[in-house]
Amino acid sequence: MQRRHSLWPMVLTMICVTVLIAAMSAGAQERVTLRFSDWHLTEDVWNKSLTEGMAIFEKRYPNIKVQVEPVSYREKETKYTVESAAGRAPDVMHLHAFSLPSFYEKGYAMDLTSFIEKEGKGFLDAWYPLPLELVKHRGRVHAMPGDYMTMVLVCNTDLLKQAGTDVERFPTTWGGFLDFAKKATTPGQQWGLGMVGAKDPGFSLRFSPFLWTFGGDYLTADLKRSALDTPEAREAFAYFVELSTKHKVVPPGATSANPQDVRTQLAHKKIACEIGSGWTAPIVNKLNPDLKAFDVLRAYPLPVKKKRATAIWLSSWIISPNTKHPQEAWELVKFISSKEMELKWFQDNRVTSARKDVSGVAPEILNDKFAKVIAAELPYGKVEPQIKEWPEIMDAFTGAVQEALTEAKPPDKALADAHARINTILARRR
Amino acid sequence: MGSWPFRVLVYGFLLMLAIYVLFPFAWMLSTAAKTESEALAIPPTWIPKEPTLDSVIGIWVRKNFALYFFNSTVISLATAILSVFFGSLAGYGFSRFQLPGKRVLIGFFLATQMLPGVLLVGPYFKVLTATGLYDTRTGLVIAFLTICLPFATWTMKGFIDGVPLEMDEAALVDGCDRLGVFFRIILPVLGPGMVASVLFAFLLAWGDLLWALCLTTSEEMMTVTLGIARTVGEFRIIWPMLMAGSLLGGLPAILLYLFLQRFLVTGLTAGALKE
Amino acid sequence: MATARAKSVRTGYLFVLPALLLLLAVLGFPALFSLTLSFRPESGGGFSLEHYRLLLEDTLFHQAFWNTGLLVGLSVAAHLGVGLAVALALNLPLRGQPALRLVALLPWVVPDVVTGIIWKWLYNPLNGALNDILLRLGLLAAPLDWLGGRYLPLISVILANVWRGFPFVMIILLAGLQAIPRERYEAASIDGANALQRFRYITLPGLRKMLIVSLALDTVWEVRRFGLIQAMTQGGPGSLTEVLSTLVYKQYFAFFRFEYASAMAVVMAGVLLLVSLPYIRMISREE
Repeated sequence: MQRRHSLWPMVLTMICVTVLIAAMSAGAQERVTLRFSDWHLTEDVWNKSLTEGMAIFEKRYPNIKVQVEPVSYREKETKYTVESAAGRAPDVMHLHAFSLPSFYEKGYAMDLTSFIEKEGKGFLDAWYPLPLELVKHRGRVHAMPGDYMTMVLVCNTDLLKQAGTDVERFPTTWGGFLDFAKKATTPGQQWGLGMVGAKDPGFSLRFSPFLWTFGGDYLTADLKRSALDTPEAREAFAYFVELSTKHKVVPPGATSANPQDVRTQLAHKKIACEIGSGWTAPIVNKLNPDLKAFDVLRAYPLPVKKKRATAIWLSSWIISPNTKHPQEAWELVKFISSKEMELKWFQDNRVTSARKDVSGVAPEILNDKFAKVIAAELPYGKVEPQIKEWPEIMDAFTGAVQEALTEAKPPDKALADAHARINTILARRR
Repeated sequence: MGSWPFRVLVYGFLLMLAIYVLFPFAWMLSTAAKTESEALAIPPTWIPKEPTLDSVIGIWVRKNFALYFFNSTVISLATAILSVFFGSLAGYGFSRFQLPGKRVLIGFFLATQMLPGVLLVGPYFKVLTATGLYDTRTGLVIAFLTICLPFATWTMKGFIDGVPLEMDEAALVDGCDRLGVFFRIILPVLGPGMVASVLFAFLLAWGDLLWALCLTTSEEMMTVTLGIARTVGEFRIIWPMLMAGSLLGGLPAILLYLFLQRFLVTGLTAGALKE
Repeated sequence: MATARAKSVRTGYLFVLPALLLLLAVLGFPALFSLTLSFRPESGGGFSLEHYRLLLEDTLFHQAFWNTGLLVGLSVAAHLGVGLAVALALNLPLRGQPALRLVALLPWVVPDVVTGIIWKWLYNPLNGALNDILLRLGLLAAPLDWLGGRYLPLISVILANVWRGFPFVMIILLAGLQAIPRERYEAASIDGANALQRFRYITLPGLRKMLIVSLALDTVWEVRRFGLIQAMTQGGPGSLTEVLSTLVYKQYFAFFRFEYASAMAVVMAGVLLLVSLPYIRMISREE
């Protein structure tokens, strides 16, 4: 019996403490508390920046208190889904573009159109048209765009010179790039390109440019069928896979390499180039300060086969429909996506903004060695199809790439299987 | 113990096992003492060039690990004690009584484990919110109990089956009631089985990520494993901190085991029964 | 006699009741919820067997199903083999036995997900510790891509899984070994039984119950395990290491197909129940 006795006081204390805390916080609630959740809060630099931002906000809106809820990058969709399904999601959440369609469909993002209308005509003119398209669901705005970046090649100019490449005349075609990559490769020591081949959100950002610059696409224009059976798609797929299997210009382990693995390779001079964006140089610099990343690295537009194109990274803020303070939540979202704050996010974290009046004009961005290349590519930016089946399609596609990379299947067979599978997935839609 | 070839065989096997088991720990230890940039050096270094305790200090100072340890310890201990206590009771019931429908019930206990937690976490969330237990340690304990209790029941039943019936009967003849038999006769010899069940429950509650993630939200309720998971960010894994967190996070379980190991010897050998 | 028997049955149920009620109270709603969800169409209400029909055609599900069988089968076999061997060895009066027992338990204290993250890094071809040490020792000529290749990832995943999983089996079996009365061994020795015979006729039968228990619990637990594989391979490369638990997770949290994920989980639970019926029968049999 002793065991039982020793436990009850603990359980009782636990319950009492919980009740007390709950009662106390309820009593203290004079002003409105907003729950704000963002994966950036788990990262030191961003956390500092966001905390400063929230302090400014609270000073301007003394009636609103912002309670931050950090969630790790990997787990955010899981947590938000469970909470949203039970009607207890944070008031404001930060999401990637690729999660948006699923959240729209499930009704986890509030329709913001009426707030925007109240802000007056032309409120949305400050943003680029493409991100505005992405935050719309059935013609209504359900999110506010945040970071907006294009994928570019980030290369180590020292290794470029070593390979005998003129840093001012970097190859602009994939054929030229392959020649360069071969020259930059010393088997077992150093490779031309770092390749992300893991099932990771970062994969499609780094693969899509191949497909699009070769003139191919994932789906047909009406989004009803897979377009992976086109010659362009086959050519792009084979080119990508053969970089590893045939030409061996990428380091071993591509199928489990995530973006951070590849940046580590770049930081330690194992690869000459990787596909990255504004975040690349600061992170690489942190990984290996001896590299002097800001001096040595340089950004180039992606090579082209048929047409110029690149992939877009977009993040955005949504308001949960279960919020009890929609007006206050809107004020917060409006604040974090304001011109002033977007510029702050760039200065602190090097992310370019979806706002034209920031990314298009701010001298800080136009004069930045990396940001100016990234911003110049914005007109060629393209996004993956915004349909709720997309995560499933991408999973099937990444699987096919991995099968081809591990030579479990020949590239054509892997791609044909993915094509069929994607059509099966899309068939459910019709 | 046995002839020398046998001894060589046993020690050889244990040596190989020790290498297999300790290899990752050696790496964790080495990484925990490195700077973030050295941790990712290619090729890797084994002896840190600039050894630092930064990560170990960092998780206490920059992250609130003291609080996380408190939460995890309370949650895991409560889960372990409750599940082993009720599990032993149920195990005793299953082991010693001819219950109609016993097979179905025993099957049911196991069957409760067959739905993946991924699916249950949504409905759990609703149950805990409805009962006001969301974002409380009690709520998490209750959720973990549903996993640990059936495990404890099965383990304890298997173990009690090995305790000779004569022990119960002798005590019953001496005028003990069933509860008395359970507490005075059976519980004292269940040490080894309890160690297994306590460790299982404690480590399950300690190492869980999904439920702690979804069933709590405030910093005050964070567990150690959630804290460790947060060192895995969007852009990077803070390896030294992850390793320091994992190594330190293992300490309470090790202390618990050191405390429990004396019970790994059953009272059964003490001549308590004569066959 | 009849009333005494009835009374004894009642007492028996009273022992089981607290645990049973707790399980029913907490698990009842979530389990029913999942079950009914699997019969609901993706949009709108009503009753539908559509998800189960789709499961029949879903090749990824089939692959995950067989992968689960393979990975769980091999992992459980290895857990049991290693766990039994270690339990037997650490039950001997060895020098340093307490320390060795602690060492053997260590991997268990590392959370599942963290194990996956750490092993994934150990396997990294460029900055992973495993390749580094094997290269230095001259056991490898070039870095091995442990998580790539056609079949190697299966072995790599199992190696990590056995590392984390055998201590659980070991400690149950060590407890089981304790329950075998010493007197039996002494009596057998006097009768002239050698070590092998003592193992065959005393240890194994004495451990039988605990072997069944650990086999059943470990099987169920391994089928559920998802953190480790999720962190290491996410089911890849291709769908080589895709198992039901990772697939259900993906269907639920990445593809947002709650109903379909439920149907998958229900089938998984059903098959698991069928597989464990013999164990249930064995554990509930009276001696």
